[in-house]
Amino acid sequence: MMTMNPRENLASLINSAKSASDIPSKLEPLRQLKRGLIQQHDLALVSESLSLLSDRFGPVRKFVTEMIGEIGLKHFEFLPEIVPVLITVLSDATPAVARQAITCGIELFRSILEKVAIQGLYSSELDSSLKSSWSWVLTLKEKIYSVAFQTGSGGTRLLALKFVEAVILLYTPDPNGSSEPPPHDGKFAKFNISWLRGGHPILNVGDLSIEASQRLGLLLDQLRFPTVKSLSNSMIVVLINSLSTIAKQRPAFYGRILPVLLGLDPSSSVVNGMRVSAAKHALKNAFLTCLKCTHSGAAPWRDRLIGALRDMEGGGLTNQAIPEVCKINGSLGEGKEDSPVIKEEKPTIKSCDVLDVNLGSKRAGVPDSSDLAEDENVPGKRVRPTPIASEELTRESEKNNTMSQDDVSSIGPTTSRGDGDNGPVQQLVAMFGALVAQGEKAVGSLEILISSISADLLAEVVMANMRHLPPNHLKGEGGEESLLNMTIVGSDSKAKYPPSFVADVLSLSSTFPPIASLLNAHWSESNDIVKPCDEKEDVVAEADSVLACDGLDHGSENALLPTDLPASSVVSSGMEKGCFPISSDIHDVGDLESEIPGLDSSAHTDGLSETLVTSSMASTDLEEASQEQVTSLGQSTLKLLPSMSTDKSEELSPKAAVTDVSSLVSSTATSVGLSSNFVLPKMSAPVVYLDDEQKDYLQKMAFIRIVEAYRQVAVAGGSQVRFSLLAYLGVEFPSELDPWKLLQKHILEDYMGHEGHELTLHVLYRLYGEQAEDRDFFSSTTAASEYENFLLTVAETLRDSFPPSDKSLSRLLDEAPDLPKSVLKLLEDMCSPGNCDKAEELQSGDRVTQGLSAVWRLIMLRPSIRDACLKVALQSAVHHLEEVRMKAIRLVANKLYPISSIAKQIEDFAKETLLSVISGDATERTDAEGSVTEMQKDSYLEKPVDEHPSVSVNSKDISSDTHQSSTCQSVSSLSVSEVQRCMSLYFALCTKKHSLFRQIFIIYKSTSKTVKQAVHRQIPILVRTMGSSSDLLEIISDPPSGSKNLLMQVLHTLTDGTIPSSELLFTIRKLYDSKLKDIEILIPVLPFLPKDEVKLIFPNVVNLPLDKFQAALARLLQGSSHSGPVLTPAEVLIAIHGIDPDKDEIPLKKVTDACNACFEQRQIFTQQVLAKVLNQLVEQIPLPLLFMRTVLQAIGAFPALVEFIMEILSRLVSKEIWKYPKLWVGFLKCALLTKPQSFGVLLKLPPAQLESALTRTAALKAPLIAHASQPNIRSSLPRSVLVVLGLAPESQTSNPAQTGVAPDSQNSSQVQTSQAQTSQAQTGDTGNSDKEVVTEKSKESSGAS
Amino acid sequence: MKFRYAMVCSSNQNRSMEAHSLLKKQGFDVSSYGTGAHVKLPGPSLREPNVYDFGTPYKHMFEDLRRKDPELYKRNGILPMLKRNSSVKLAPQRWQENAADGSFDVVFAFEEKVFDMVVEDLHSRDHALMKTVLVINLEVKDNHEEAAIGARLTLDLCQEIEAAESWEDSIDDIIATFEKQQRRKLLYSISFY
Repeated sequence: MMTMNPRENLASLINSAKSASDIPSKLEPLRQLKRGLIQQHDLALVSESLSLLSDRFGPVRKFVTEMIGEIGLKHFEFLPEIVPVLITVLSDATPAVARQAITCGIELFRSILEKVAIQGLYSSELDSSLKSSWSWVLTLKEKIYSVAFQTGSGGTRLLALKFVEAVILLYTPDPNGSSEPPPHDGKFAKFNISWLRGGHPILNVGDLSIEASQRLGLLLDQLRFPTVKSLSNSMIVVLINSLSTIAKQRPAFYGRILPVLLGLDPSSSVVNGMRVSAAKHALKNAFLTCLKCTHSGAAPWRDRLIGALRDMEGGGLTNQAIPEVCKINGSLGEGKEDSPVIKEEKPTIKSCDVLDVNLGSKRAGVPDSSDLAEDENVPGKRVRPTPIASEELTRESEKNNTMSQDDVSSIGPTTSRGDGDNGPVQQLVAMFGALVAQGEKAVGSLEILISSISADLLAEVVMANMRHLPPNHLKGEGGEESLLNMTIVGSDSKAKYPPSFVADVLSLSSTFPPIASLLNAHWSESNDIVKPCDEKEDVVAEADSVLACDGLDHGSENALLPTDLPASSVVSSGMEKGCFPISSDIHDVGDLESEIPGLDSSAHTDGLSETLVTSSMASTDLEEASQEQVTSLGQSTLKLLPSMSTDKSEELSPKAAVTDVSSLVSSTATSVGLSSNFVLPKMSAPVVYLDDEQKDYLQKMAFIRIVEAYRQVAVAGGSQVRFSLLAYLGVEFPSELDPWKLLQKHILEDYMGHEGHELTLHVLYRLYGEQAEDRDFFSSTTAASEYENFLLTVAETLRDSFPPSDKSLSRLLDEAPDLPKSVLKLLEDMCSPGNCDKAEELQSGDRVTQGLSAVWRLIMLRPSIRDACLKVALQSAVHHLEEVRMKAIRLVANKLYPISSIAKQIEDFAKETLLSVISGDATERTDAEGSVTEMQKDSYLEKPVDEHPSVSVNSKDISSDTHQSSTCQSVSSLSVSEVQRCMSLYFALCTKKHSLFRQIFIIYKSTSKTVKQAVHRQIPILVRTMGSSSDLLEIISDPPSGSKNLLMQVLHTLTDGTIPSSELLFTIRKLYDSKLKDIEILIPVLPFLPKDEVKLIFPNVVNLPLDKFQAALARLLQGSSHSGPVLTPAEVLIAIHGIDPDKDEIPLKKVTDACNACFEQRQIFTQQVLAKVLNQLVEQIPLPLLFMRTVLQAIGAFPALVEFIMEILSRLVSKEIWKYPKLWVGFLKCALLTKPQSFGVLLKLPPAQLESALTRTAALKAPLIAHASQPNIRSSLPRSVLVVLGLAPESQTSNPAQTGVAPDSQNSSQVQTSQAQTSQAQTGDTGNSDKEVVTEKSKESSGAS
Repeated sequence: MKFRYAMVCSSNQNRSMEAHSLLKKQGFDVSSYGTGAHVKLPGPSLREPNVYDFGTPYKHMFEDLRRKDPELYKRNGILPMLKRNSSVKLAPQRWQENAADGSFDVVFAFEEKVFDMVVEDLHSRDHALMKTVLVINLEVKDNHEEAAIGARLTLDLCQEIEAAESWEDSIDDIIATFEKQQRRKLLYSISFY
């Protein structure tokens, strides 16, 4: 390669580019080729490389195009070869390639045009190759034109349009460029067609201009209706940009371009069915660009541009400034249509500067100065008042300065125009002039004149006169403080007037006290009006008054920023004018305006110097005076401003006066300079430079003064303004001055008296606005933290310093714009007091109520933080202190739970804590031990009631026990209280929604003993509240397994003391019948069941464990209050006897136990009852199994019944009792027990049975024989009996009459003998005592079973 | 990736860097800039931002702020952001001084003010290259969350632009589709280098 000559080398590069297969490997040789070809002057090679344009890859073709473009630039003699190629490329299928051709085209065209022009300047003949090149680029130009103006081919067209723009600019003279041609062959920065001055061999400036103008026309046509409809949005954007560029660089075309742009309705550019804001935006930027143009040709369009911008902006920022500008124009224009000077000059200053200063963010034109404006906003704290000073050295500020100076100077010429006006105002001005020219003797006439014309007119006169004031007299440092330069129309020369005269004129204003008072009133009024206006205005107005009241900032700004002044003054004057027309009394406004600037300032100067004197003497006066001062200074400054805008230099003087005054005020320098009445226009303004500390101090003092002026302000009715002011200042002040702390201190000193609530809200809203405005990252972040701090501090102090019943805190939280987390935390701490502060304990109850009611209000009022607040309430509802918890539960269950939107959350939470009891049962115990101290304290409140049996008739006592003091405190009470902590809320909810209760049943089985205790403790209260609702019945009808005990308690509670509903009875019956065949569940309702049913189930009742049977028995006998007992005692006993152990599958033991239980209650089962029962039983066939046992028991219990028993026994004899072997034993026992009364009965036995009886019970025999031996008895006894007794001879036993009986009796006696032997063995041991009979019973019954 | 992209916000910290970081990960040829006069980061109070010059390395700012108040700046996300930024590039760059960086094909601004400044700046430069540049404004609030969302949207849009054969022809469609899908307004302008 190295040995190859360059030409071969390049040729091989072409080949390798051709042969390569992918884009990168093609581009690489091409890059080398490009370098080589540009150096080599070889047409053949270039032609050869052109073949690469047929490459299939777009990027390759694009690169080649670019390459030949550059070659063309370097070697224009190749153009005849190159241009045709470029023309072909223009229609390349790939837009990027075609665009590259245009790009090359622009470069080539510009380059050749410059060459042609320069060469033509210095010679009359051009060399031929240049000529031919020129003609080729012209051809290319035409081709590109056709691309530019044909429809379609969007992407390429954009660039073609740019080409047209470039040509137009090249063909027209640049007004800003040098019109002197550069020296021959000299370097020049920018080509300017105006170098050509005729005589050029080829180029004719006129022709070129015509062509440019035509092309411009074509461009404009594109944007005209209806062509514009067919353009793509991007096309419109490019067209607008191009046109605005042309307009800017060639202001001569303003008149053609702007009408089209202004007529372009952005909304008409609807592309693909969507309205595109891009075009609108581009148009807006174009207008702003045009507005900034300082060329004289642009001036007439300003009004229309502003108008268009205003229409466009809608609510945008520009909008606020523009109407004010217009209003000023309008109001001034009204009086004198014939003063175009003012009309014209106003917009020139204002439109630019207002936009610049006020709309820093919206300004597209001067990025540098907008940066500056930004810096102004941003608190480099020293930067704010004196932005220039700190930025002075930066490039930006320099530019900005020159910019505004340019602005001003361009106005200069117009100002001097149009002097010879003849309106009424001008005539008056002339009249004044004439009078003043006469000197002091005309003072009287002047006064008459002034007092006779209307204030409006006077104002006009003053305004009109302003522009005649010499523009530069201030520049000269004058020692002529006592003399005033005043130029008045009519007298061309500057006349000097003695101070006394001026003083007289100036004092005119003070001769109109009504006006002054009006002004005062108006000030506050206007302030009120300002407020509803956009905030921006508000801010500016306030800022102004602030500046005025400490004066210093404004002053120093004045001194340092002379060139910026027009802007700021216009802003404020615009402000004022913008707002005043709203007020109803326009006449007053006129008055206000009619003030001559200096007058006020001098008047107030007086006031101030007085103030200063007094303030040095008594500081108490200062406070009152300061308020006055604030307002008066505010007035004066604001009033001064409107009139100043007319003449830049003039306005300096009153401002300087203010500076003077205020610097004196603030630095309390000597008031010497103020002794004269009229410190008007010219004087040496002692600008006092303060160091940072002093400035800080002044700012702080001013702030404090406003803070402390609350009383006067409140009386004057300006509280709202003061609030806004303080809030605004707080935001603006550098933070090391800590304005918030000052403000907080003030607020909290006397929250009520200092209107703390309102002020706090103002501050909060201000900060919140700052935060929400979200201007940028840091300001919103910082505002957020300031906000949080402020709110939190106030809230905390309110909490700590006011009694809990006070509503201030709640109100503050209701109305604050936003509640950050920390405030919610504060609420949370109130609602759930921690374990830390024991001292607070006493108060905590009320605090909790306070916190909870605040939370409740927030939940109702602020949906957005509802969840967070709800969480606070719920946390409190599971608080470990019962007092706290109960308050919270009341709130949650009664107030919050009914709100449907949050009910679910509450339910879920309650359920979760409920379930935590099961899962965390073990762990919670340890937790509780961890905080033993507090728990022990609790235990005084939480009376443990664990010793109560879980299911008992006593359960109704539980609730009343809660507040009894108790000494028996079981160990498990700790966890009981913990369990209750978790469950109370759920129970409370159950009372609101009964179906929730089922959950308790479900978990019941798996809970620990402690939990069960806790549950049982709650049930009575809960169930009593619920009543037997349908939900509850449903639960009862299908209780989860393992919940029987709980169910029992529920049933007990439900039936305790009240009559259960029929539904409840039905449900229980059904449950008993179908699922839970446990008689226990019927016990509670036994008294309410029908007698038949009770009898039916009675055997099952008997089968219960003894204690439960006893309970059931009690219920049965007691019955319900209204229907009386279900069963009488007699019925009970009979029912017991009616039980058949075999058939009913009930152990006999249970039955006897039941009997015994009855006999234990002698006061119920009285002897009458027993007699009745026995009477009935004895009639039953067969006799009840336990009959004799009961008889024996009856005798044991009631010996008085013995006669009655004998009766029964006799009946048994007649019923042949001996035929029931078991009962026969009992009968005999009874007979033995009741001897001697039973002898009568015994003797009634048939002889065989008697004998058997005597045989079995030997103990009876002797007494019975003795008894029978008595003559009267013996005589009544049949012989057979006597035989048995051994009182008659045996012989007669073979009596046939008796033998008939004998076999029977022998049979039976034989049977009985065998029985008697066993029973004799038993009875043989027994003594005669009653007691022994009783003990015998058990043996007997066991034998019977 | 055939285009060069620039992401521009005011301080070249949050929004532009978020997008820069994301696009860089996706393999785009991307740079980022700020249009402000200085780089501003939140400070201890509303009116006291931390102000740095463009060109100050992110690492330096990170160290500086960590020294000042690590708690505060960690909490408000500044330190993590700076750390992220320093992994993307050395220091914030200023748009107005980027002429040396060559021409971009697509510029994203994340705030109308910034967009205006970019357009205006391009407008005032010499149009020597005659190369079109698409400037798009996607309004993104200056906080971390929105910046992340904005970056994702930007990526989507860049991919759309890449996919088109020639954005000059299809930009209206791309923009319209995006606006319809995302319900966000876009602004765009076409300038020349």
